[in-house]
Amino acid sequence: MSRLQEPSSLKRKQPDSRSPLDSLTEHERIIYNVIRSKQDMGIWMQDMKRVAKVPDNVANKALKSLETKKLIKEVVNIQKRGKKHYVAAEFEPATEITGGAWYSNGKMDFVVINILKDQCLKWIYKQRVATLEGILDAIRKSGISNVELTTVQIEELVRALVLDNEVVEVKSNGMGEFDSIPVGKVCYKSTSKGSRGDPKIGAMSSIPCGVCPRISDCTPDGIISPKTCKYYSQWLDF
Amino acid sequence: MATPYGIKFAVHLITSHFGNLVANVCENLLRKGPLTLQQLIRFTELTPLQIKNSLLILIQHNCVQPFSSEQIGAGGNEVKVTQYLVLFDNILHRLRFPKFLEIVSEELDKNCGEILEGLLQHGRLTLEQIYERARDNAVQDAVRESFQKLLNSRFVERCPAPEPFVEPSTIKSSNKRGAKSAKLDEVSETEEQRVLAAAASLDTLRFSILTPSGTEFDEDKKDGDSSSSMGVGEKRKHGAADSDDAFGSNENEVILWRANFEEFTRYLRHKACIENVRARLDVGAATVLKAMLDATRSAEKKVKTENSVSLSMDTIFEEVMKSEAGRSLTLDRVRASLVQLGCSSSGTDDTYSIDLKQIIELAQKEEVESIVLRRYGRDAYRMFRLLSKAGLLQETDKIADMTFVEKKEAPKILGKLWKDEYLHMEVEYFNLLIKFTLSSNMAICDVVDKPRLTLSGMSDLVLMDQNKEIVNKFVVDRNTTFYLWKVNKPILWQHVLDEMYHAALNLSLRVIHELDQKKELLTIPPEKRTGPLEKEFKRLKNAKFFLESSLMKLDDALMLFRHF
Repeated sequence: MSRLQEPSSLKRKQPDSRSPLDSLTEHERIIYNVIRSKQDMGIWMQDMKRVAKVPDNVANKALKSLETKKLIKEVVNIQKRGKKHYVAAEFEPATEITGGAWYSNGKMDFVVINILKDQCLKWIYKQRVATLEGILDAIRKSGISNVELTTVQIEELVRALVLDNEVVEVKSNGMGEFDSIPVGKVCYKSTSKGSRGDPKIGAMSSIPCGVCPRISDCTPDGIISPKTCKYYSQWLDF
Repeated sequence: MATPYGIKFAVHLITSHFGNLVANVCENLLRKGPLTLQQLIRFTELTPLQIKNSLLILIQHNCVQPFSSEQIGAGGNEVKVTQYLVLFDNILHRLRFPKFLEIVSEELDKNCGEILEGLLQHGRLTLEQIYERARDNAVQDAVRESFQKLLNSRFVERCPAPEPFVEPSTIKSSNKRGAKSAKLDEVSETEEQRVLAAAASLDTLRFSILTPSGTEFDEDKKDGDSSSSMGVGEKRKHGAADSDDAFGSNENEVILWRANFEEFTRYLRHKACIENVRARLDVGAATVLKAMLDATRSAEKKVKTENSVSLSMDTIFEEVMKSEAGRSLTLDRVRASLVQLGCSSSGTDDTYSIDLKQIIELAQKEEVESIVLRRYGRDAYRMFRLLSKAGLLQETDKIADMTFVEKKEAPKILGKLWKDEYLHMEVEYFNLLIKFTLSSNMAICDVVDKPRLTLSGMSDLVLMDQNKEIVNKFVVDRNTTFYLWKVNKPILWQHVLDEMYHAALNLSLRVIHELDQKKELLTIPPEKRTGPLEKEFKRLKNAKFFLESSLMKLDDALMLFRHF
């Protein structure tokens, strides 16, 4: 869970009084200034080399040296994984670079996300109706997460569950199953009759054409046609 | 109006029921809008007699409605011309005849079913012909009683006027309309409605067996006139007398009857609403809804009515008690079900009405989402639901964040949905807001007062002028370019409907193909079908059943998007 970061803020470390900046070479200084000027967005190595107009071998050496001196750090850019991206050490990389709280090392952390989503879902199904605070409290007590989760993060997870059609968002009317929840408060309910699983399969999506990726290329007498369709053949192969 | 595959499917239905000649005439009417006989001769290149006979068949089967209007003739004088309007919906209804028969057998009885069967088979019949058909099976009184039952429940109606006169000003656009001009669709829709409204008989007459003079029509006809009464096989000539400029303007007012598709559609719409509520809420809510709809069906003005007819609490409870399932419900349960159905008492008079439109829209949404889930996967499903709920443009990264999809993957999934016309896309490039529409796999768009723009790939934008010369090329830079997405419901719904027509056509064509493949197998007498032949025969039978029942199920969805 340590991989869950706090939403990034532009934390600025106080520079040391005996700053390693003093000991930089000319090229190191140029490169450092280019990287630093990009603040929390940082810069891709090749772009940096172009801007700084420093020969490749010199730049590589300088980057290594700056890293050892802890003036810059390499971060994973979620958009360009595998490409070297640098940020000045005094900045926390922006969420555009890291992906935000649910990313770790440039990848979305599905293991953590799925465990947490599942916990939220279990709680909602157990309670039938639950509020965000209730869910957060339950997850805290369960001890499943060793990192302090925020209400915002729980809300993100539950909203995704709504989009999955696993739960529905409703407003309390203070009656019946809502009697312990103030009127008008947003809460989450299990979907129809408490049964989990995929939504109803529609008439269209239960036949080959409904799920066919090539339906727009299919014509009655074309190369792709209902007569030649291999999906139909599979479907009708009893 | 009909979508491209809607037309193809309708033509397919007509071809398989009435052959190529009739289908040719029908296709021209579907693609070009109402036409005169002269125009049809020009477009179809058939002989006048062939066209006349085709039109007679289409009119007899309620697929074409003639109407007359005044046009400026060659000499500058106003002349009365007859035009033929094809009724797309009635062609599609042919697919549903088994459903209509089932409804009548369930709601009424077998005898009523037989009368309806005759009407569906022959399109239009006189009372006399109806009696004649039943002569062997039942006594006339019983037939009359069954017919009256059908009329009372409005499953049968008097045929509309054979050729109503429609004010010329209201049908201006008729001949200019082509299949391509989507903009005129709305105009033609109202035009169709106008013609139908002009042809419709008065409500009092529509479901009444009595003639305006108060006598039962068949009484007049019974004696003396029997020589002119034709056999069922010759029915066509009845509805439409063969005159030069107008079919069916028979002066001797022959009253013809036909199945009332509107009532069947309403019945199926109600059924769809009830089934949706049963699945989404519970049996109680479905029972209450059914009781309310059953009680008010005849009071509904049009099929696509948005709200059910208002009823008081007392009436609702009374209606609920009429059914077996309803008898177990208490007043409190009925009240709770009404709340579940989203209707609270309106105003001071304690009456309740249910938002049927909302139920239908939910069902439509479920159907589309189910396609997205099965065709594009769960991530796409979540993204689609987000956009469909938001109803406005959303940026790629924001969508990815809210749906827990990798930011790198999100544009690929959204792009795929866009290419298949499930999403609408706009690109914000600096301050240019660029709107994209698809045209044969190329994205074409107009930036206000700027040259035309085309998009190649998802990674760069190519700006081209009218001559397709490249003016500028932008590498898409994440800092200056934003992709925005949204679900454009009216356009998407139309697209999904077209895909459904396409799928329905494919199912029908596959049935024909399967049977065609095994032609010889079908000619082998049952006693000689043994071993592998028997197995193959069973497979064919299963395949046919599978395809046909899928078509019936798909037709439920077609109705949901087209008629409900």
